Amino acid sequence: MAAVDKDLIRQLVDGTISRDNARQLIRMARKDHERFWNYLEVLQARVAWRDRILLRLNDHLYIVAKTGGGRVVKCDCGHEFGDYRTNWKTAALINVRRTHDEFAQVYSPAPACPEPEWQEIREFYCPDCQAQLAVEVVPPGYPLVHEMLPDLDRFYREFMGRPLPDESPDWYVDRTQDTTRAWHAAAR
Amino acid sequence: MATIEEKVLEQGAGRRSLEQMFEERDRLTRESGHYYGITELSLRDADPLKFERFYSRLHTCVLAAREVARYVAASPGGREMGESLWALTTAEGDSLALSLGFFSHTAAFPVAVRYMATEKYDDNPGIDDADVFCTDDGLTGGAPHPGDTYCYVPIVVQGEIIAWAVGLNHIMEAGAPVAGSWPGFCVDTFMDGFVFPPMKTGTKLKQATWWDNLWKRRTRAGTMNILDDKMRLAGCAMVHKGVHEIVHEFGLPYFKRAVREVIEESRRMVMDNIKALMIPGTYTGVAFRVAKYGDMQKIWAQADRDNLIHIRQELSVDGKGRMAADLEGSSRWGQHAFNGYPGGADCSLYLAMTNTFSHNTKVTAGINLTVTSHYPKGCIYNPDNDFASFANIWAQSMAMNSVGFYSINRALFSRGYLEEAFATDGDWDGVQGAGELADGTPYGFTNFEYVGGVASGAFCYRDGEPVTWAEWTQLCNIGNAEEFEYLIPTMFYLGRKTLPGFCGHGKFRGGLGQTSVHWIVDPGRHLGMSRGGAGTAMTTFTATGMSGGYPAPNCFHVTARGTNLQELIDNGGHTPRDAMEVIEYAADGRLKVDKLEVWKYDPPELQMKHNDLWSNATGAAGGWGDPIERPASLALQDLNEGSMKPAFVAALYGVIATQNAAGEWELDAPATAARRAAIRLARKDAKPAAQWWQEERERVVRREFITPIADMYRGSASFPKFDREFRGFWQLPADFQI
Ligand SMILES: [Zn+2]
Repeated sequence: MAAVDKDLIRQLVDGTISRDNARQLIRMARKDHERFWNYLEVLQARVAWRDRILLRLNDHLYIVAKTGGGRVVKCDCGHEFGDYRTNWKTAALINVRRTHDEFAQVYSPAPACPEPEWQEIREFYCPDCQAQLAVEVVPPGYPLVHEMLPDLDRFYREFMGRPLPDESPDWYVDRTQDTTRAWHAAAR
Repeated sequence: MATIEEKVLEQGAGRRSLEQMFEERDRLTRESGHYYGITELSLRDADPLKFERFYSRLHTCVLAAREVARYVAASPGGREMGESLWALTTAEGDSLALSLGFFSHTAAFPVAVRYMATEKYDDNPGIDDADVFCTDDGLTGGAPHPGDTYCYVPIVVQGEIIAWAVGLNHIMEAGAPVAGSWPGFCVDTFMDGFVFPPMKTGTKLKQATWWDNLWKRRTRAGTMNILDDKMRLAGCAMVHKGVHEIVHEFGLPYFKRAVREVIEESRRMVMDNIKALMIPGTYTGVAFRVAKYGDMQKIWAQADRDNLIHIRQELSVDGKGRMAADLEGSSRWGQHAFNGYPGGADCSLYLAMTNTFSHNTKVTAGINLTVTSHYPKGCIYNPDNDFASFANIWAQSMAMNSVGFYSINRALFSRGYLEEAFATDGDWDGVQGAGELADGTPYGFTNFEYVGGVASGAFCYRDGEPVTWAEWTQLCNIGNAEEFEYLIPTMFYLGRKTLPGFCGHGKFRGGLGQTSVHWIVDPGRHLGMSRGGAGTAMTTFTATGMSGGYPAPNCFHVTARGTNLQELIDNGGHTPRDAMEVIEYAADGRLKVDKLEVWKYDPPELQMKHNDLWSNATGAAGGWGDPIERPASLALQDLNEGSMKPAFVAALYGVIATQNAAGEWELDAPATAARRAAIRLARKDAKPAAQWWQEERERVVRREFITPIADMYRGSASFPKFDREFRGFWQLPADFQI
């Protein structure tokens, strides 16, 4: 399948693509393998910083390779959330909604509002640009949800055929609890 | 090629038992890593055109079965909507070809056939060509819930079972204490209704009389259920006949080898598709569902409690293009209606998998070989008590499927296939009940409309839309209101529409959910109504939204009992058209109501009388992205269409609009910019995660949870994986007990 035009990718990223064009893309018999590389190019051109984007996680966050080594989660505003193996939510600002009135500001109509006590609504913001990066609606005490821990080495080598220069078995390990362990130690 | 055929003939010499076939299938598949040890697609490669012609003949059989059988005989639910499927499987129940309909139910087939194999059905009662077997059991038949009823017709050639024709559909009434299609408030499987393990119910493509009589005696919609039974069997008969003709034309050795190549070929394609679309790694998705049973009854003390059902799915993708869904950490099974067994759980899990990875190929068991599931014994998907109720796993397993679907869409987004990336909530609701007409005739029913279609979630580049999808079928269709009115003669529609504001919000919002108002007319001597459905508004549909968007709100019900509706109609006045209007009309006195109730959880069966109203709101979908990034033009469109309230839009989206002389909403750009800046500024007051953690940890240590949450944590932490997650995340000492 021919590679999808970068301009169309840009329109997808911007949310300006026409319904017909989006439908054409959905109907592709096989997705264009080069999309990933073209997507990265489009994304890289949109950010003001130079670190190489390895993967886009959501509207604002990327895993990037640091020139001095390391792979970190970075916001398009430039804020860095630390090593990608630790859930980036542990480096975000967290707003918790607990009451019915607070719920009613984000859910409507009133009878459709989730029930306080049974859960809280957590909103995660970037500390620098305050973009809302994620929402969790979970019972109090629920551990932060690590939505996605990619196995980047395997992806680049086995799915994309272009291995990363700093491959290591350590890259595919969840390090979130190292952070909470450090917090616990600091508090004692 | 002849040598292969000879080999196959050799292997097939002497009739093997079904159990031996399974042993061989499992062993060869395990040892070789290929389906049935098929490492070469010899028949396909030798003559691809013959191979494709062969497959298209198989496929045509099942496609034709669906299009014809539902017009031979069927209940309206069976005829009008997507709630059915016909299939051809191998002798071991592995799917070969499917009609349109609910694809993922193929996960149930190997469960039922394996049960018949291990129970040695080929000896007793015997499995002969054109016999008829039926089941709707979760444990032994793999059914998601008792309303899903399966018909199996063995295709036997030269004394050997070579295939099964399968037909299934979702029936209207399951014969349980709580009437309808998804029995509610079940304490154990003895309250699930008419549940039967695989049974030989007929021979020579004809059902026994006793079988019809069971439907008449054990369900409240005997006539409709018998029509559906005839529909399933009529389709199976067509497939049975067609396959015999194909075997005659292509020869038995070709058939036996080719069907295995078909599955192996599609298994490879599914792996290719996974490698083409996914990113290796681990994805975690979470959802919750309330089962509020406390104070509902005083007979079964063990069930007199409120439950918070926890759904936790870790989806991992390896470097070869295989995926594994691990449900460890989900709740333990409970004394409620919302458990399931592994076959039924898989019917949910594979919805997202089949839809995403079985394209471009023949839809077969190839997907089931590539994506595996793990339900630890004792969990809500694999009870360690064979009498656990499985009346409505669908009440929570659609969310289980959704969180997996979310995970897939996160990967599609990361790879740049943004056109496919959307929020996948799939709430649904079915109004059901039973009664006795004025002349003493008993009746039972289910209104399937909002089982047929719901809103689609927001994509990462546009809003979702109302009533455009159903994650459980590709045939999204809410059916004709008039069909349901003649089918359920005591319920008439006062309204059927979308509900303003009812969606998950975000930069792009989910499609609006839908609402109906049912007017009860001449219900006769008695009418009891309840609902089967996915979420209840107690919780959101999933717990993890997309990219800063909010997950969808869930279903609620409004009942108005003892009304003056007749007066309103006699006076030519307006009547309420949706759930919120019922509340508003009652509040401002336009409608006089003796008892107005708003249900954020499953209502118990309610007694309904003439002129009472039953209204539901369901099918809302989730949002994508930060609401304050929403294009102002879309927010204005919402206001001008009446989809949102101005105050809500101003508060959440930060879009300030004013109404012009013509009543149209126009953007106040400076006020909008100021409002959005103020929202951003206020967000700076949120807590750094480390501080939040310290404070939240104190609450955890003090166990400041309501009882159902504490019960949920205890249950989930009885599985080591979630115990490690919970204890490790909060750094709790080893002796800490929830
Ligand atoms: Zn930022």
